[in-house]
Amino acid sequence: MKSVLELERLRKTFGGLVAVNTLSFAVEEGEILGFIGPNGAGKTTVFNLIMGSFKPDSGRIIFKGRDITGWRTYRVVNCGIARVFQLSRFLRHKTVFENIEISTIQNRIFARENRQARERKILQAAELVGLGEDLWKLPGALPHASLRRLEIAKAIATDPELLLLDEPFAGLSAAEVEEVSGVIGKFRESGRTVVLVDHNMRGVMRLVDRVVVICFGEKLAEGTPAEVAANPQVQEAYLAGGGVNDA
Amino acid sequence: MSYLRHGKYLFYAGLVVLLVLSPSLLMRVNAPHWISVLTQANFLAVFAMSWDILSGYTGQISFGHAFFIGAAGYTSALLNFHLKLPLWLSIPAGVIAAVLMGLFVAVPALRLRGPYFSLMTLILPIVAMKFVLIFSNFTGGELGQFGLTPLSRARGFLAHQRVNYFYSLGLMLLTAVVLLLIARSKVGKVFEAIRENEEAVEAAGINTAKYKILSFIISSLIAGLGGALYVHYWESLIPSTILTLTLSVQLIVAAVAGGMGTISGPLVGAYLLVGGQEWFKELAALSPSLGFLEKWNVLIFLVILILLIFFARRGLLPALYSLWARVCPPARRAK
Repeated sequence: MKSVLELERLRKTFGGLVAVNTLSFAVEEGEILGFIGPNGAGKTTVFNLIMGSFKPDSGRIIFKGRDITGWRTYRVVNCGIARVFQLSRFLRHKTVFENIEISTIQNRIFARENRQARERKILQAAELVGLGEDLWKLPGALPHASLRRLEIAKAIATDPELLLLDEPFAGLSAAEVEEVSGVIGKFRESGRTVVLVDHNMRGVMRLVDRVVVICFGEKLAEGTPAEVAANPQVQEAYLAGGGVNDA
Repeated sequence: MSYLRHGKYLFYAGLVVLLVLSPSLLMRVNAPHWISVLTQANFLAVFAMSWDILSGYTGQISFGHAFFIGAAGYTSALLNFHLKLPLWLSIPAGVIAAVLMGLFVAVPALRLRGPYFSLMTLILPIVAMKFVLIFSNFTGGELGQFGLTPLSRARGFLAHQRVNYFYSLGLMLLTAVVLLLIARSKVGKVFEAIRENEEAVEAAGINTAKYKILSFIISSLIAGLGGALYVHYWESLIPSTILTLTLSVQLIVAAVAGGMGTISGPLVGAYLLVGGQEWFKELAALSPSLGFLEKWNVLIFLVILILLIFFARRGLLPALYSLWARVCPPARRAK
């Protein structure tokens, strides 16, 4: 298997706090990787480093052989990584269609726009996440689970090869978790790669192929879900949260 | 409901025809001074629309748009006055100066958010005014310079007024069409999205800094074009007409009252503001019992604006549109 994304000895501090400490791991092409750790372990910081929201103090981020360390967000997105935020960031006065549309607009100001291709892309993304019926609604009229789907649709509409999902199941009911899991599975079936952040291990274990566990910004364990769940260090790290299986 | 859409365009075409014919109509009803009132309204509409594409669309509220207007006005006027440059050279030079000032403001604006940006724009025209006073030998200081090349070469006062009116109308219509096209293009969509959530736009793969700079360029270019023509319309360079807080506030009032983020709103707002104030003046002159209007004129407009902000925050035009939509609901969008 080929690595799509490689993090090499990534380090980031905020003042005296070491948020990410010499963290290295690779994401393989076509896999769903669970990126897991207790609250405050540095998962979102790692996403922020990849997406260029922060610059790392040291270390490199390699995407498909290109060093993208410290690139601005829009460049990272245009080279094929999209992120789904933990909190929904939608345009309140725009319809679902228009919200997804922004993701299909090219960065070049004078680029020739193919309206039909763009509309097709918007509809595809909406269908994939199951928002096909809600295209003309305002986000305010959608239930919470549909807003999560809208976020995923927006990310997918940028045509990413790698999708970073930050706690996609937060605040969802069991049935809704099933639905969103289905969406993520469908996306992977199209041959693309997913990294999934969650502090809740049980929710993601069935969905992911492999797991990387971090704690206090350092890698604690890596392996299949079963291996990681059996790891005593991981269990210890999760003790405060009530153990791996109850977390 | 295609006839309704066509109806809308017919309505706009009718308005344009009315504006083109209004000098003749005003002469006929014996109110020729309204020609110059409408000319002023056209200029204010240009300024308000140029503000709207920056502040209304991208949400970067500028409190000192007179800075761009003044930069162009001063450049064109001084080149024309001191070097005797013809208008076809001095006006483009003024526009270039305004765009350069737009870029000059855009760079720090990328780092300043919200109130800090607005504060900076508030101070800039004051700084510019200080420069005007320091170099008053050259700029004419507070009194300004007189005897600039006029826009209109027509002989006779009324003919002169008419030609000026058509210049201003042409500029206003061109501005409206260009800005409406931009606002409805993908650029306009990106501007609006930046206003609502800049991070989301960046996460969609769009360089927000580039688009914000573009909004400054468009806005300062149009404000500059208006400013450069404005001084030659007055045939004089008077700081109190192009570089004051009053102008900056007036164009914001027009834009906000009409409906910011719509382009057509600021246009309507400018006409209502300039036309309304003139109308009040005339009412005041009509009978002694209405004389109080002369003094209350500006106050009444400001109170109306405050009420509008309270009850129809999006402005007059959007409020009317939603009222219209409630009275006769449109057919559901097919799709």
